[in-house]
Amino acid sequence: MKSLDRSSFEEQARLVSRYVAGDLSRSERGEFEAWLVASPELAAEVEMERRLRRGIASAARRGWLPRQAPVDTGRERRWQIAIAASAVLSLGIVLSLVVPHSETTVPGKRLFADAGEQRIASTRTVRLGSVRGTGGVPDVSIVLTEAPSELVIEPDVVVLTCPDGAIEIECTGGSAPKTPQYAEYEMDLVKRHGATLAWRSSRQLPVGRTQLSFTLHEPGSYDAGDYDLIVRGHSPDHAEVVARFWLRVSAQ
Amino acid sequence: MSALSAEEIERIVAAALTGDRAAESRMLEALRPGVLAVLRFGAFHRWIDQEDLTQETLHIVVERVRARTIDDPRKVFAFAAATARNLALNAARKMLRQQTVVDSELVDELAQNLETEQNDLSDSDDKHLAQAVAALLEELPTERDRQMLIRFYLDGTDKQQLCRDLGLSPKHFDRVLMRARTRLRAIIERRAPHLALVPRVIAILLPLAMSFTFLVRHFGSW
Repeated sequence: MKSLDRSSFEEQARLVSRYVAGDLSRSERGEFEAWLVASPELAAEVEMERRLRRGIASAARRGWLPRQAPVDTGRERRWQIAIAASAVLSLGIVLSLVVPHSETTVPGKRLFADAGEQRIASTRTVRLGSVRGTGGVPDVSIVLTEAPSELVIEPDVVVLTCPDGAIEIECTGGSAPKTPQYAEYEMDLVKRHGATLAWRSSRQLPVGRTQLSFTLHEPGSYDAGDYDLIVRGHSPDHAEVVARFWLRVSAQ
Repeated sequence: MSALSAEEIERIVAAALTGDRAAESRMLEALRPGVLAVLRFGAFHRWIDQEDLTQETLHIVVERVRARTIDDPRKVFAFAAATARNLALNAARKMLRQQTVVDSELVDELAQNLETEQNDLSDSDDKHLAQAVAALLEELPTERDRQMLIRFYLDGTDKQQLCRDLGLSPKHFDRVLMRARTRLRAIIERRAPHLALVPRVIAILLPLAMSFTFLVRHFGSW
């Protein structure tokens, strides 16, 4: 660490996103982490970066993010802005005539959240970590009488590897591992009694390198009992169970 | 602790290096959030118990400070970061070694008797966070910034590619990210303050508990 002054802090703060993404070189990371230990302010930045990443993933999962084609740059954009401005102005005039004047719109609390809340009214999301403690209770429990219409399972099980497939904390050349261990992942729901396959997801690629999300529709339609949620990784020539969780469906 | 600047923490560590026990306690309190952050965002953060390793790291740091083998506070920061990283690597190696045999009957049997780790956010908190991010994206001044964040964080498009596609300079890119974090913090503090408070509360309470442990161990009383 050369200096602990403000400009050095700002220099490090610009690296926050790359640090959380694991994109810093060995020397950059060493310097950044020494700073991290010295500065709660930088640690708070890192924490907020984590929240931002997670929040965006969660909002996307709930369908609250506006997805559009990449924005064009250059001359055409001016026309688009002019047309959009005209449209917004026209819409504003129409709305001002139609909408009752006693109601006001609260900034930042409009379309996404309101629409999203209705959409996820009967969705339950469960995150399952790869580090599990000891105990004799199921990872996920559902009561048939209160079952959601969708059970979204997000297992945190994707291991990142080096380009050569090695599992290391640092790859050759000092870069961090970035490649998911398997190209695709799927989830099976297997009833323990009789070992019968009750459901299998479609295969999916990890989003943002490590995020998986499997949606089990109408979990209340399954028989009461204990099930295994098995996550399997697939490469072209190999498949392996990478995690197994316990789901209990109870009558009441 | 979040009010302390890096310079203030450097002074505290410098005092601890002289053998000042009160400064030592303050040092533990001051270093904890950063050590925890190193462990939370290291390459194998999902395979380690971050709280345990933070405590272990701080134990090693305080022993080293007492031994007077480090004379520069900045070296203490680097030492703490390197210690945290090495402990994480060892813990992750152990965990990943175990995971390679997850297909065996025995491990499957054991896995069925295990429960999941505690997630740091409940469903409700996760929803609050998603709402805060949706609000943040709505508040952004341009569609370009909005698409930049979504493509960067969700699609994993890299910075150079985004700068090319969206006609941004790298500095502008960094500024948008920094502003987004600052704005998200403000929204969270307004809408779901406990999401912003949790790390701070832990940052205060756990070092106090650690200080208590050290004092009882070394002096026999609080």
